[in-house]
Amino acid sequence: MQDTTDFEAKRDIADIAVERYKQGRLTRRGFIAAMGALGILPALGTKATAQAKEIIVVNWGGTAKDVLQEVICDTYTAETGIPVIVDGSGPSAGKIRAMVESGAVVWDLCDSGAGSAIILEQQGITQPIDYSIVDKSKVLEGTAYNNGVGNYVYSYVLATNPKLLGGAVPQSWEDVWNVKDFPGMRTFRKSVRGQLESATMARGVPLNEVYEALGTEDGIKAAIAKFRELRENIIVWGSGSDSQNLFLQEEVAIGNIWSTRAHLLKDQMETGSFNVSFNGGVIAPGIWVVPKGNPAGTEETMKLIAHAQKPELQVKWLEMIGSGPINPEAAALVPAELAPWNPSSPENLATQILYNDEWYAKNQIAAEELYVDALIN
Amino acid sequence: MPRMNEKVSYWMLVVPALAIMVIFYIVPVLGIWKIAFTEPETGLTNFVAMAGSNAVKTSFVITFRVAAITTIGCLFLGYIVAYAISNYSSRLTPLMVALVILPFWVSVLIRSFSWIVLLGRSGIVNDALKGAGLIESPLRLMHNELGVLIAMIHVMLPFAILPMLTNMRGISGAYVLAARSLGAGEWTAFRQVYFPQTMPGVMSGALLVFVLSLGFFVTPALLGGGRVLMISEYITYQIQEFLNWGLGSALSVGLLVATALVLLIAARFVNLRAALLERK
Repeated sequence: MQDTTDFEAKRDIADIAVERYKQGRLTRRGFIAAMGALGILPALGTKATAQAKEIIVVNWGGTAKDVLQEVICDTYTAETGIPVIVDGSGPSAGKIRAMVESGAVVWDLCDSGAGSAIILEQQGITQPIDYSIVDKSKVLEGTAYNNGVGNYVYSYVLATNPKLLGGAVPQSWEDVWNVKDFPGMRTFRKSVRGQLESATMARGVPLNEVYEALGTEDGIKAAIAKFRELRENIIVWGSGSDSQNLFLQEEVAIGNIWSTRAHLLKDQMETGSFNVSFNGGVIAPGIWVVPKGNPAGTEETMKLIAHAQKPELQVKWLEMIGSGPINPEAAALVPAELAPWNPSSPENLATQILYNDEWYAKNQIAAEELYVDALIN
Repeated sequence: MPRMNEKVSYWMLVVPALAIMVIFYIVPVLGIWKIAFTEPETGLTNFVAMAGSNAVKTSFVITFRVAAITTIGCLFLGYIVAYAISNYSSRLTPLMVALVILPFWVSVLIRSFSWIVLLGRSGIVNDALKGAGLIESPLRLMHNELGVLIAMIHVMLPFAILPMLTNMRGISGAYVLAARSLGAGEWTAFRQVYFPQTMPGVMSGALLVFVLSLGFFVTPALLGGGRVLMISEYITYQIQEFLNWGLGSALSVGLLVATALVLLIAARFVNLRAALLERK
């Protein structure tokens, strides 16, 4: 049955409750009551603990919820007898924090991002990952934090429609900016995330120097200028489904989109009319975090993380919704026809850079303003 | 005493609507004004940021340009429709009025999506033109200002037609007949006798369309391809993407003030009071 819960709205109401609680406009009692009413915390009065010997994993809902349940959680239950339940209500950093601060933790394992993981660690909200149970070598380099560890990856990739381009397919971001040889509309995200990197590479900056170049104001301005130059050929996408639609309706011939959407498009578009290149892609990890004082206990949760690292499960995950394996060992098990679509295959990894959360924490807001200006002004 | 009674009943009639306006409109608007001046800090920070931002300036220019062109387009097309409906009696008149009102039954969202189906690169219009051999490669009809304008004129058209229609239906045909019998040509009679009488309808239609267009969100967001960023979309962007309530509120204050300014300037050239309120 389709789950029709409006996670977006719930998430939003919860975030508002958190804000008000932080501002002191809502008492702790009122806050816990509100969270209870939203089904995020158990109702007021009952002791806020999950049933013993049960692990609650939280992600962002949708198909990903079912896939996570089937691929990781049910297999863990089959092996150990411990029930694992996926809750798709969206573990935003604010909500995790509210839960820990209110002392009513019901979540054990949360699918977060690197940015949130770093902030939560600084605020002392999350537990250190026990690397004697979780294998550090089974995640991509750079995705093992003290209080968070990679769970899967997705990339910003160069997607093309060779049919619309008359067979000439851009191979690099430099080609994407070459409107003469590759005419047609392009789509980029309505945010600088994963996009300024492309523009910087189009300037001829080598892959490993991209964030270095973007580290200076001139570097940012130069990347923005590239968008200004291309803007007559740009349609922006706001949500993942926007980007998918633009390709499906043949509105765009080229785009910088999420590899997970590309994974869907490859099955929806006619053969020969969709192609993806990871050349100059930006790879971003999802990060597991464990809230302090989680009901199932540290050790049990760490064991579940370790279970999720198994290469064969990671491959299954890729097959089902296109999330790339975080475990480098998994690449060898990926079926040959899927390998080109795997963001973390050795071939694809070699041509990508890791999304730099620190850069975004420092520069994103200022860059967004310039980006909008370049597109409309 | 009857005078007193009249006053009382006047207020009894006005108070419910006034109360609703104050509670659900004026108070929240003041709340927004407060946020604009107090978050993240008290003072003019948000307005300084707004004035210093090129993106904001451009967005304002786009907003007013789109609203102005939409208004002109709606008035032109709407005048013809209203004129035809009110001056040519025909059995089709009820049907024509129904066709003007019908779009109100369909949500703006659906109408905007329909335009995507029509104007897309492989949409109905492009496919038809290509099939007829008129064009070789598809025209860019949307994801730009043209697409936004086409859809907005369509959405706003009834708002222009209805006031003009009401106005024209109240104009007696005797004036034009009198002018004609005194020797005026058809065109002169229209220009000097009929047209001035329709001005109240034209002005209220213009104001309605213009002000509604300034705050329009759905259509530009769907058909603009992200590059026709009107202020209301920019406000959404600030608040949803960056939780920047301060700047978002400041932008809405800016839009309100700018709209008021335009009305003031318009009032210098057109007697708005006469155009909107006076009945002839």
